[in-house]
Amino acid sequence: MKRIGKLTLVLMVVCLAAVFIAGCSGSGKKEADTKTLKVGVTNFADSLEPTENYFAWVVMRYGIGESLAKFDEKMNVQPWLAESWQISADHMTWTFKIRDGVKFSNGKPLDAAAVKASLERSFAKNKRAVTFFKYKEIKAEGQTLTILTEKPEPNMPGFLADPLFLIVDVSAEPARNFAKEGPIGTGPYMCKTFVKDKAVMVKNPYYWDGVVPYETVEIPSIDDPNTRAMALQSGEVDMAVNIAAGDIGLFNDKAKFHVDRIASLRTVLARINQQGVLGDPKVRAAFISACDRKVYNEVILKGTFIEGKAPVPPSMDYAFDQLKDPNSYNIERSKQLLAEAGWKDTDGDGILEKDGKKLTVDFVVYNSRAELPIYAEAVQSDAKKVGFDVKIKSVDYNLIDKMGINGEYGLLISNITTANTGDPEIFLNWYWKTNRNGDNPQNGSGYSNPALDTKFAELSTTFDRQQRRQLIIDCQQIIMNDGAALFLGYPETNIISSTSIEGAQMYPSDYYWLTNKIKPAKK
Amino acid sequence: MKGKELVHRLMQMLITLFGVSLLTFSLMYLSPGDPVEMLLEVADTIVSEETIAETRAQLGLDKPFHVQYFRWFAGVLQGDMGMSYSAKMPVADRLWQSLPGTMVLAASATVTMLLISLPCGILSAVYRNRPLDYLIRGISFLGVSMPSFWVGLILLYVLGLKLRLFPIAGGEVSFDRMVLPTLTLAIAMAAKYTRQVRTAVLEELGQEYITGARIRGFPMHKILWRHVLPNACLPLITLLGLQIGWLLGGVAVIEMVFSWPGLGKMAVHAIEMRDYPLVQGFVLWIAVLYMGINLLVDISYTYLDPRLKKGGC
Repeated sequence: MKRIGKLTLVLMVVCLAAVFIAGCSGSGKKEADTKTLKVGVTNFADSLEPTENYFAWVVMRYGIGESLAKFDEKMNVQPWLAESWQISADHMTWTFKIRDGVKFSNGKPLDAAAVKASLERSFAKNKRAVTFFKYKEIKAEGQTLTILTEKPEPNMPGFLADPLFLIVDVSAEPARNFAKEGPIGTGPYMCKTFVKDKAVMVKNPYYWDGVVPYETVEIPSIDDPNTRAMALQSGEVDMAVNIAAGDIGLFNDKAKFHVDRIASLRTVLARINQQGVLGDPKVRAAFISACDRKVYNEVILKGTFIEGKAPVPPSMDYAFDQLKDPNSYNIERSKQLLAEAGWKDTDGDGILEKDGKKLTVDFVVYNSRAELPIYAEAVQSDAKKVGFDVKIKSVDYNLIDKMGINGEYGLLISNITTANTGDPEIFLNWYWKTNRNGDNPQNGSGYSNPALDTKFAELSTTFDRQQRRQLIIDCQQIIMNDGAALFLGYPETNIISSTSIEGAQMYPSDYYWLTNKIKPAKK
Repeated sequence: MKGKELVHRLMQMLITLFGVSLLTFSLMYLSPGDPVEMLLEVADTIVSEETIAETRAQLGLDKPFHVQYFRWFAGVLQGDMGMSYSAKMPVADRLWQSLPGTMVLAASATVTMLLISLPCGILSAVYRNRPLDYLIRGISFLGVSMPSFWVGLILLYVLGLKLRLFPIAGGEVSFDRMVLPTLTLAIAMAAKYTRQVRTAVLEELGQEYITGARIRGFPMHKILWRHVLPNACLPLITLLGLQIGWLLGGVAVIEMVFSWPGLGKMAVHAIEMRDYPLVQGFVLWIAVLYMGINLLVDISYTYLDPRLKKGGC
C-alpha cells in the first residue's frame, strides 16, 4: 500500500516540476530589448485586407499604411502623404500634391498614379467608400492628383484621412496576398506574419519620415482587459492600448509607466423623444437640469469620463468651453419649470401628475457598454428627486437602431463616434435634422427646428474651414438651447506605456497606435 | 458493434446533424441583431441605409428564411460551409485556423487532468476515511467550487505577474503559453474526475473477488493494477469522452482570459458579430464531435468489456 502512495506522489511531483521548469525557461524577467517593441491590443480584424469591413483601421494602427492626410490631436486635418491640397473655384475639383521622395515598403516610389490606383481599388472593393464621396474622375500626373467630384465635398481631405483610403501599392498584387501577408504600404513598419491573435511587424527599410527605431514589433491581441493590464504590469508588453477604466489606477507609478489619457471622439447621450411628455420644452429643460452630470462622470465613473454638455466632445476643436448649457444642473430651476408646466404631486407619492397622468418616462438602454446602465440609474435617481418616474428598459444592442428610427422611447441612450472624418456634420444631421417623410430616418425623436435646418443647409455648401467651424458651434448651441438631447459624458481613451519607451501617444481618432515616434527611452 | 449497427448509428447521426443545424439556424435568425449592421457599424460609425441594403443583398440576407437555410444546407452537402461574414474567408478555413490551438490545449489539459486525478482518486479510495482521503476530497471540493475564469486570473496573477514564471499574453500556440490555461482547465476537470475515480475504485475494491485476492495474499498494488483499475475504467471512459468533447468545442472563457487562439474565442466573436455561417460551421463541428466521441466510447466498451461483445452492443 505504501509503495503505491510513494510511487504516485513521485510521479505527480516529477510531472509538475517538469511543467514548471519548462515554463520558467520560456519566461522570467528579461533585459530591456531595444530591437523589439511589444504592444498589447485588442484586434477585431481577421485579415489585413484594408478594403474588407473596417480592417483598414488595423492596417493603419499597426503602422503599415498611411493616407494622404491625417488628424492631429485636436482632429484637425494635416498633410501626410499629400503635402498640400487646394480646391477649384467651382468647388468640384480637389488637387493634391503628393509628397516627393516617399517609397512603398517594397522600394517602389509613390506617385500620383499609385495613389490613383489605390483609391480606385478602395472604391471598387468597399461599398462604404461612396458614402464618403462620389467622384467623376481621378487624374494622375507626376506628383499631382486631381479628383473631380459629383457634388461639392467640403471635407474631402478629412474623408481621405479615413483608413479606408490608406495608400497601398496595387501593383504588388497578386504576388502578395494582402489579406494574409498585409498590404505594401508606406508606413514605418511592414507585416511579417499576421493572424488575428498576433501580428509581427518589421522595419520598413524605405521609410520616408525619419528613423524607424525597432527592427521588430510584436502585437499580441489580448482581449481580456484584466490580462492586458497584467501583461503591461509584468513588462511582457511595453505598451497597451485601452486599459480598462478600473485598472488605470494600477499604473500610477510615474517612474514605471506613462499614462496618456484623452477624451475620445465618442459621446454618450440620451436622445429625447419630443412626441411624449418630454415634448414640452419646459419639462425637457427640467429633466436635463435635474441631472448632475458632474457627479456621474467624476464620482460614479471615477473620472474615466468627462462631464457631458454638448453634442461634440471636447477632444475636437469646436469651442467646447465657450458653449453655454442653458440646462446645467440646477435642481431648484428644474422644480420651478415643472410647476410652470402644470405638473404637481397631488397624491403625495413623490411623482408629479397632470390631468390625471403621471410624469413617467421610459429610458431605453443597452448593457454591452458597462457605463450605460450606470448612467441610466444615476439619471433615474436624480429625476426622481424632482418628481419624474423614469422606467429603465434594458434591450439588446441590436434593437437600439430600430427603436431609434421608430421613436419607441422616451429617452434612448447611445455611445456613438461623432466625427471619424474630423467633421461632425454627418453626426449632427443624423440625429437632429428634421425628418421629412422619412428622409432622415435616424431622427425618430420628432425633433425639428427650422433655424437649425437652415444652418445645416449652409454647412453642406460651406468650404471655408473657419466658417464651417462657426456653423458647427452654432448648430450645437441651438441643439443645447432646445434641450434636444441629454449629453451625459465623453469616454476617455488611453495608451499606457512603460517608461522604458517614449513617444507613445493616443490620438482622438484612434487610428495611430504604432508610429516611428515610439522609441527606446533615453537613459 | 456490428457493421449493420454502425451504419444505423451513422444514419442517426446524419438526421441529428440536420436537426441541429436547422435549430441553430432558426435560433440565430430569430435572435435580435442584424449581421449587416453589426458588420458595418463595428466602429459605431454612421452608415447609410443604402449601404446596409446593398450589403444585405450581397450576403443573400434579403432572402426568406427557408431560402437562406436550404442554400446553406445545399452548400454543406457539397462540402462548402459558406463564407464567414466577419472574417471574409471560407468557414472551413476559419475553423481550421483555430482548430490546432484548441486541439493542443485539449490534449494537454486531458493528459494533465489524468496525471492529477488518477493517482489522487486511487489514493483517496485506497486510504478511504483517512487524513489523505480527507485532504484530497477537500481539495477536489474546492476545485469544483471555483469558477475556471477566476482560477485562470489567479494563476495569471500569481504565477505570471508576481513570480514571473509564465508569460501572460497569449496570442500564439507555444509550450510556455500553454501551461497556465492547461493548469486552469486541468484543475477544474481533475477536481470532478478525482471524485469519479475514487467512487469507481471504491466500488471495485468492495467486490468479493478483491476480498478473495487479498485473503489469498496478493499484494495490493498487483490487485489494483491488474484487477481494480481495468474494471473501474469503464464508467470513467464515458466521462472522459464528454470532457474531451467539451474541451475540443473550445473553452471560450479560458481562451478569452489567456488570449489563446482557439475555437472558443472564435465562436464568441462569431456570435457577437451574428456571423451566421461561422456559427453554423462551429455548431456542426461540435455536433459531429460529440456524436463521434460517443460512437468511439460505445465501440471502446465492446473491447473493454467482453460481456458486451458476446451479447452485442
